[in-house]
Amino acid sequence: CKEDFLDRPSQNAPTLDTYYTNAEQVNAATGLLYNTIWYEYQDKAFHSIGEVLSGNMYTNDSKYATFYNFTVSGNDEQVSRSWYSFYKLAGNATVLVKSFEQKKGQVSEGSYLDKGIAESRFMRGMAYFYLARVFKDVPIVEDPVKLATSGSYNVPRYLQSDVLKFVIEDLKAAEAGLNETDAPGRATKYAAKGMLAKVYLYMHDYANAKAYAEQVINSGKYQLYSDYNKMFTSSTANNNSESLFALQWKASGGYSIGNPIQAYCGPSTLLKPTTGAGWSAIIPSIDVLRSYEPADKRRQWSVMEHGFSRPDWKNVNFPNGFTYDTTWVNSNDDATKVKTGTRSNALKYVVGPGSNGEAVNGTSTDICTYILRYADVLLIYAEAVLGDQASTSDASALKAFNDVRHRAGFSPSVDKTSLTKDIILHERRVEFAFEGDYWFDIQRQGFAKAKQMIDAQERGIYNWNGVVEHVGVTLSSESQLYLPIPSNEVAANPLLAQPAVPYY
Amino acid sequence: QNNTVTGTVTDGQGVPLPGATVLVKKSTVSTATNQDGKYSINASKGSTLTFSFIGMVTKEITVGNSNVINVAMEDESKKLQEVVVVGYGTQKRADVTSSIASISAKDLKDLQVAGIDQALQGKVSGVTVTNNGGQPGGGVSVRVRGITSINGNEPLYVIDGVPISATKMTTAQDQLGGMPGQTTQSAIAGVDPNDIASIDILKDASAQAIYGSRGANGVVIITTKRGKSGEGKLSYDFYIGQQQTPTRLNMMNLSQYATYQNEIMKEMADVNGTEYFPIGEFANPSILGKGTDWQDAVFQTGLMQNHQLSFSGGQEKSSYYLSLNYFDQQGTIIGSGFDRLSLRLNLDNQLKSWLKVGVSSFLTRTNQRTTLTNGSEAVVNWATGNSPAAPVMSGDDFAGPINVGGYNYGSPYNPVAYATLRDVGGVDSRANGNVYGDIIFNKHFTLKNQFGFNYSVTENKAFQPYATSGSFIIMSPSKLVEDRGVGTFWQLSNYLDYNQSFGKHNVNAQLGHESSESHYNGLNAARQNLTMNFQSINAGSATDQSVGGGIYENALESYFARAGYSYADRYSANFSIRRDGSSTFGPDKRYGYFPSGSLGWTITNENFAKDWKGLNYLKFRAGAGVVGGQNWQGSNAYATNIRLFPIAPFGPGGIPDNVGNPGYQWEETVSYNTGLDFGFLSNRIELSVDAYKKSTSNMLMFAKLPVYSGIGDQWNDIKAPVVNAGEMTNTGFEFKLTTYNINKNNFSWQSNLVLSTYKNKLNKLNNESAAIYTYTEYSNAVTLTKSAPGGPVGRFFGYVTDGLFTSEEQIRNSADQQVGIGPKGTWLGDVKYKDISGDGKIDAADMTYIGNPNPNFTFGFTNSFKYKGFDLSLFLQGSQGGDILNYSKKITEGMVGVYNNQLTDVANRYTSTNTSTSIPRFNPWHQQNIVMSDRFIEDGSYLRIQNLTLGYNLPARIISKAKLSNARIYLTGQNLYTFTKYTGFDPELGAFNNNALMMNVDNGNYPTPRTFTMGVNLTF
Repeated sequence: CKEDFLDRPSQNAPTLDTYYTNAEQVNAATGLLYNTIWYEYQDKAFHSIGEVLSGNMYTNDSKYATFYNFTVSGNDEQVSRSWYSFYKLAGNATVLVKSFEQKKGQVSEGSYLDKGIAESRFMRGMAYFYLARVFKDVPIVEDPVKLATSGSYNVPRYLQSDVLKFVIEDLKAAEAGLNETDAPGRATKYAAKGMLAKVYLYMHDYANAKAYAEQVINSGKYQLYSDYNKMFTSSTANNNSESLFALQWKASGGYSIGNPIQAYCGPSTLLKPTTGAGWSAIIPSIDVLRSYEPADKRRQWSVMEHGFSRPDWKNVNFPNGFTYDTTWVNSNDDATKVKTGTRSNALKYVVGPGSNGEAVNGTSTDICTYILRYADVLLIYAEAVLGDQASTSDASALKAFNDVRHRAGFSPSVDKTSLTKDIILHERRVEFAFEGDYWFDIQRQGFAKAKQMIDAQERGIYNWNGVVEHVGVTLSSESQLYLPIPSNEVAANPLLAQPAVPYY
Repeated sequence: QNNTVTGTVTDGQGVPLPGATVLVKKSTVSTATNQDGKYSINASKGSTLTFSFIGMVTKEITVGNSNVINVAMEDESKKLQEVVVVGYGTQKRADVTSSIASISAKDLKDLQVAGIDQALQGKVSGVTVTNNGGQPGGGVSVRVRGITSINGNEPLYVIDGVPISATKMTTAQDQLGGMPGQTTQSAIAGVDPNDIASIDILKDASAQAIYGSRGANGVVIITTKRGKSGEGKLSYDFYIGQQQTPTRLNMMNLSQYATYQNEIMKEMADVNGTEYFPIGEFANPSILGKGTDWQDAVFQTGLMQNHQLSFSGGQEKSSYYLSLNYFDQQGTIIGSGFDRLSLRLNLDNQLKSWLKVGVSSFLTRTNQRTTLTNGSEAVVNWATGNSPAAPVMSGDDFAGPINVGGYNYGSPYNPVAYATLRDVGGVDSRANGNVYGDIIFNKHFTLKNQFGFNYSVTENKAFQPYATSGSFIIMSPSKLVEDRGVGTFWQLSNYLDYNQSFGKHNVNAQLGHESSESHYNGLNAARQNLTMNFQSINAGSATDQSVGGGIYENALESYFARAGYSYADRYSANFSIRRDGSSTFGPDKRYGYFPSGSLGWTITNENFAKDWKGLNYLKFRAGAGVVGGQNWQGSNAYATNIRLFPIAPFGPGGIPDNVGNPGYQWEETVSYNTGLDFGFLSNRIELSVDAYKKSTSNMLMFAKLPVYSGIGDQWNDIKAPVVNAGEMTNTGFEFKLTTYNINKNNFSWQSNLVLSTYKNKLNKLNNESAAIYTYTEYSNAVTLTKSAPGGPVGRFFGYVTDGLFTSEEQIRNSADQQVGIGPKGTWLGDVKYKDISGDGKIDAADMTYIGNPNPNFTFGFTNSFKYKGFDLSLFLQGSQGGDILNYSKKITEGMVGVYNNQLTDVANRYTSTNTSTSIPRFNPWHQQNIVMSDRFIEDGSYLRIQNLTLGYNLPARIISKAKLSNARIYLTGQNLYTFTKYTGFDPELGAFNNNALMMNVDNGNYPTPRTFTMGVNLTF
């Protein structure tokens, strides 16, 4: 045979040698970091950690239940899935950084590669920010390829403070390299600044948190989106004026590429006929429902309760539009009535059965997952101004805070005139309910305060007859603020069972 | 002293032998038997009579007190004359110096199986065969001498010189939602077992090396039937049978279930401190009866039938064999089945005195329908776990859950509905064969040329309709996934054979070249919301459709040489070498050299052994060799490839798919073999023992990295580099004993025992602390096995139980079980895990090896009896010492959910009034009681009555009237009974998708059916 008989290069795709030679290829590659790589987290861990641990959502589904009872172990499915997802995000981002750096040596004008590097570092910073909050002290891997070929990969856990420092380095690099404006949905310089504010607030570095939040506010590039309800129930509001950073989902890609949340949150009466899903696996807790003030419109914009209706959500059971009916009595009612333990379902990220033109592909939808909203920046600003004081009446902080409440339906006549930690925390709870964030707010208060908040919660449900069956939990150790490292990882690398060491 | 000895000489069947020679040893006195086989000869007491007859084993009998000596001669052991198929040729068994097992068609004739891979079970020493379940046409794990590699372990199958793939994949069920289940099926099931004349299995490297890079897992050479000159033969073989699942688990019936529900509802209310509201319908369990038996609902009696019609014959210079086969097997789980239609044509023609040409060809089409097995949602798991309160049907529709007292009982995934309505499987069509032309230069030199081909079209699909039951939705949305692929393969082989004798010296040699190329082009499409549930892509909606595909190519070019030498049937030696070039590897690492050598010494042919009593045959064999492996599924791993995404948030794009490693190269297996073949008592006892050591190095693998590295080996990961890092050793011993126990008065009894052991040890991975884990559940949440250096692969990995907690004091004094202490945390009746690491808490550091699925030995024991026209055979097979992970028990004895049905054993669970038990309490508050632990490990040893066949050959005088030359009817029972302590359905579990690291995991396996068949063989 001829010499080249054995040459069989791939006929399906290019190789790195011939790729990433223009801005389109680089932008498309970084675009993937907004999507499927987050999926293992987005699927259930998102709720398990942010909402179920925090007591915002009730569950009796075994996939989430350990989070409700604070009996999470290193074997827990959502533990390994979040670990996997964030490290995968970090790994993909890093491989892109390295690939683009390598390519830079081969081209004369590489600014499109620089932007790709900045965007990838933004994502790596995000990955480690989540890791530091979910698992506390974690390994940092700056070069997976080198690690793979080194023959030794037992990386220790690094102190959370150092992991956060690593996050800040990445976000600052992103801040420097990202564009001021970009295609809708792309992370910009201000997304990086906003995230820096959030990281600094988490670190109790109020000065930096305030400074970065201020830069975002003063840029004038963002404003609260007027329709809070639409923001969470329609993909047409994706990447609206309020969104600094959001995960981008595509229903048409199906599993792991679309947003699956409505399948878990939504009621079967609404979704099952067209999608087979609608499991009500996690539902608003009695505790979160009780925390809404009566005049707060966010309750009806965030939760389905008896009487809720959407004329544009139609299916075989609701030809004239969906209504949420909790008067379920016997098994014949299951097509049109639903009676969850708290007589409610979360509405956020539920876009309906697709009857109104919304893309719904089985469990997948198009609606993006907000990671950083302008409302968050405003509340971060207010909280950063408050800092360690017991209260503040700083006008700029009050303005930022009250702006958020105005959109929620509160009239200026009931504006707050003084802010305390508890007031801000409460506001954050109802503003961001079911968005996967409240647990981190509780966590950053430290163990004593977190225990006080959790122990006081009503974690029970209504029984069949409408009587509350009280259930409470008691936090017993600081370690419960973080998830254990997945058992498999500890088994493979005993260093993970050792105390954390400094990275810097 | 005159002494007349008389007697009758008969053959093995008791038929008198005329013309047999009877000789008084060390004399010239001899005679021959007359027409009735009788003889008379003068021989003194103490002298030795030698009886000989062509084709029979010579017998020597010393004249004793009796003057009547009747002798039953036996066919000369075929073993010595028999021709053994080796790579690219044949060899006399006497000259064989390596380890090759041969099976003839008659050894396999009464095993009614879809594929020949199943039929090898228990028949060949050193070959461990397990069905990966009872799915018709399903996968079979065939392991030649242990586990060669962490990559594929299936042997290379060569049919009439053309290699074919042993496995095929069906569409994973997760395409329709849920878990993927087992997707590896047997491709050998496409080959009609009736067409097979013989099977030769190359077990050691000295035999395999001629196959170079593809031989490391053993080579199964299948030779199909060919015509013989003489009068044409017409044969019709037919059998019909039925199959059933032989066992049922003791699940609760409705009455027991209601009692259990009442108890656990009360237990929950007590722990929650809430009022207990009893369910009215369950108030009086005794009147409720049995409810739905979901096992009976999913298992069925499956019918099986097979028809084969063949014609063969030939004239002086040409011969033909033509056969047509139809095989149809219904599964024992509803919705599964397999059928095959195949046609074979083999022709041979001596075209010129110097040229022989021929063709071997077959066309086959199989149609398989699979059910979901091996996954939490496997039909068997759903059925055993489903509530007896729920009905199967609701009017004409499949029923959904039923409301009892405000609670929904019954899985929303009605297993009968899923097994019936989902249609997953595929049609496989193949044309395969070769054309050859042998040029005979003279009696010493022959040039053999062969062109082999394989063309296959696979049409896999997965379909589910939209289905409702009243207002309840059983299945939604409707969906059709179609997966089509066309594979082409060609192989051109040319080799020159040389063969010459110089006195007692015998020399042979071979020099050859071979090139081959395979090409696969696949396309898949999926659409949902099919109009009126039509099973057509055209009926689906274009919105959210998906389309994919790809092209894969592989090329191989090889040179090989072989030389053999033997002297006076005493000494023989064989050597071979092969150089393979493969496109799998990067430009600098393509070529590998694979040499072998082996020696044989037939000791009984030495002069000094002439007078050995009892031991009439002894041969010693020893050999060594190197075989290669290029078992790598991914292609082009030497380069960093880009993975393209058709759908992405900011438009299509691509990211690196892997970390390229231009340095990865051939996997190598070095093996040493030594064996002894014995023949005792005129070969009435034949014994072969072999011992081997096989070391695989440079094993191909993804560098095993922790998850935190950010790169890995999941489908959508950036893949770790492929490296040559692993090392593995198998040592083993195999034993084959054949005895001809009785052979007289029309009665014969023959026994055959094979026994195989292997000891597997993984020596090295890419890193000291690297390990390969296998997982189950969504997102690989649960670890099943760990394979790490220092022990065998595929060991179960988890926690070690230490009884149950029976006092609060005990809980407080024990290691922290990590879920808090209290009725909702660790409490009385919960499983106590051992603190292996001694750090006072139960966590990952306490996980350890809790079981080994690799058996100590496997065996098969066959006894065949013949009396006149009757034949009876009994075949036992079994496996000793392997552990099973009974993962299904996590559901059936889990007691973590309210609604699942449970084994009746849980009536004996821990409660406040039943404290001396080993079964934990009902506990829905955490999952610690069902984490992976030795609670679910069981002894998987078994002894199975695999086959019992009674046959009868109709007498010639009757059948000749119907112009029949042979007619046999028979009855067979397969898998009649299994002696085992295993509590699941079936201890024969095989390997999940043939993965050697995932053996003996019972997670809703398809139980092996029990089969009764009746058949006839007719030859005209």
